[in-house]
Amino acid sequence: MYALEVEHLKKVYPNFTLGPLTFSVEEGQIAGLIGRNGAGKSTTLKSIMRLISSEGVVRVFGKDFSREEGAAKELIGYVGGGFRFYPDRPLSAVARAVSRFYPHWDEKAFQRYAEEYSLILSKKVRELSEGMKIKFSLALALSHGAKLLLLDEPTSGLDPLSREDFCDTLLALKGQGVTVLFSTHITSDLMRVADRIVYLSGGALLADEPLDALLKRYRVKRFSSRSDADMVWAIGVKAVKDGFEGLVMVPSDGREATLDEIMIHLEYAQKEGV
Amino acid sequence: MKALIKKEFSLCLHPTAAIFLTFAAFVFVPNYPYEVMFFFSGLSVFFMCMAARENGDLAFTCALPVKKCEVSLARILVAGMFQCALLLLTAICIAVKQACFPDEMLVNLAGNSANLAFCGLGALLLGSFNLVFFPLHYHRPEKVGVPFLIAAAVQFMLIGILILIRHLPFAAPLCSPDFANVGLKLAVLLAGLVLYCMITALAARLSMKNFEKVDL
Repeated sequence: MYALEVEHLKKVYPNFTLGPLTFSVEEGQIAGLIGRNGAGKSTTLKSIMRLISSEGVVRVFGKDFSREEGAAKELIGYVGGGFRFYPDRPLSAVARAVSRFYPHWDEKAFQRYAEEYSLILSKKVRELSEGMKIKFSLALALSHGAKLLLLDEPTSGLDPLSREDFCDTLLALKGQGVTVLFSTHITSDLMRVADRIVYLSGGALLADEPLDALLKRYRVKRFSSRSDADMVWAIGVKAVKDGFEGLVMVPSDGREATLDEIMIHLEYAQKEGV
Repeated sequence: MKALIKKEFSLCLHPTAAIFLTFAAFVFVPNYPYEVMFFFSGLSVFFMCMAARENGDLAFTCALPVKKCEVSLARILVAGMFQCALLLLTAICIAVKQACFPDEMLVNLAGNSANLAFCGLGALLLGSFNLVFFPLHYHRPEKVGVPFLIAAAVQFMLIGILILIRHLPFAAPLCSPDFANVGLKLAVLLAGLVLYCMITALAARLSMKNFEKVDL
């Protein structure tokens, strides 16, 4: 079953158009939403949540967002770029207000997550570090039994160890059957946890496939000259210290590509209009 | 909706919403333009919306399992509750004043006298604020000051007109103590309350429509 289905999602700004995007995330998967700054990652997540008005169809566990907005949102835990809300309110007050919206709110689970994440509920939101804010958001989302987490750059601003903790948390949640779609620039996190990659470039969908398949498709090859690279139709060729480098799609050629390298070369290719 | 209203009270309410309710006691001041108490009611709505903006409340609330349009409706309903409370407190203060004060102190020379008809005029002033402020605010929720200034300007203009009318001969019966011309005053009160409900419902409808199109 699909946890999230997005069909023909489109948002038009005066200087930017997102989509139309069509992609899906299967239940129990961790999907990474990647792309350079301004590619449309946050716009995509906000459009899914209807925080911005856009065209297209969004279904969450089969529930049509436009028809069953409340029911669909009950299944979602959304964290939009850290928890920057109600800075002068204690965590307990925010949690109490949130709990009233969810018929399946589990107060015991919330207390358990708070203890597990070392959250002091009498503290004010502004007294939390960025990492703790993310953990507070996750505790809120998980206590109402969210089956799908939509996270907008949750690891930006976290130190490497906190990012590791966050990735551990995601893997643990995956073990509990929770589906995750999260946007990030830090592809090393995705290499560790993601099953699937949704790659946006300039508002368009460049890739939507399992991470393994994406990594297997491309190899990085070094060339001594630009013409050598052009001869084998290398993708996104760029100058490096002692020659040129580009992606090739011949399985035995070159070396394995990282997600970072695939992104960079594909962006170069986009820029060249390939 | 119940959860949304409770959230408004627990996370968004500004202390001035309660403090300005005490301004109903203005009616005890002799010869004072009592209508300004309704401006302060609008000011408390402004503070409430500003505090909500600073707390990132709209984006947070819209991610909760509610329809986007309900988020704007909840705040208008909360503002409406405080406005109704202000009208009720004003009516109580007026009843006390009518019962305890001598007749010569019941006629207000600076504005409309505090009687039943005044409550109807107050309801009209509150409704006019709602009709201007909320649709403008929910058209661009990051803007709170400009919609408030425009709404307050409209309100003061209406206050000016009402005070001007008060000095015209045909309006004299409305400025008498409550036991005189009761029928006329009740008619003004009822008309004011009906108009308040209709105007506020229209304001809510426009605000919800505008807010649906907003990108948070």
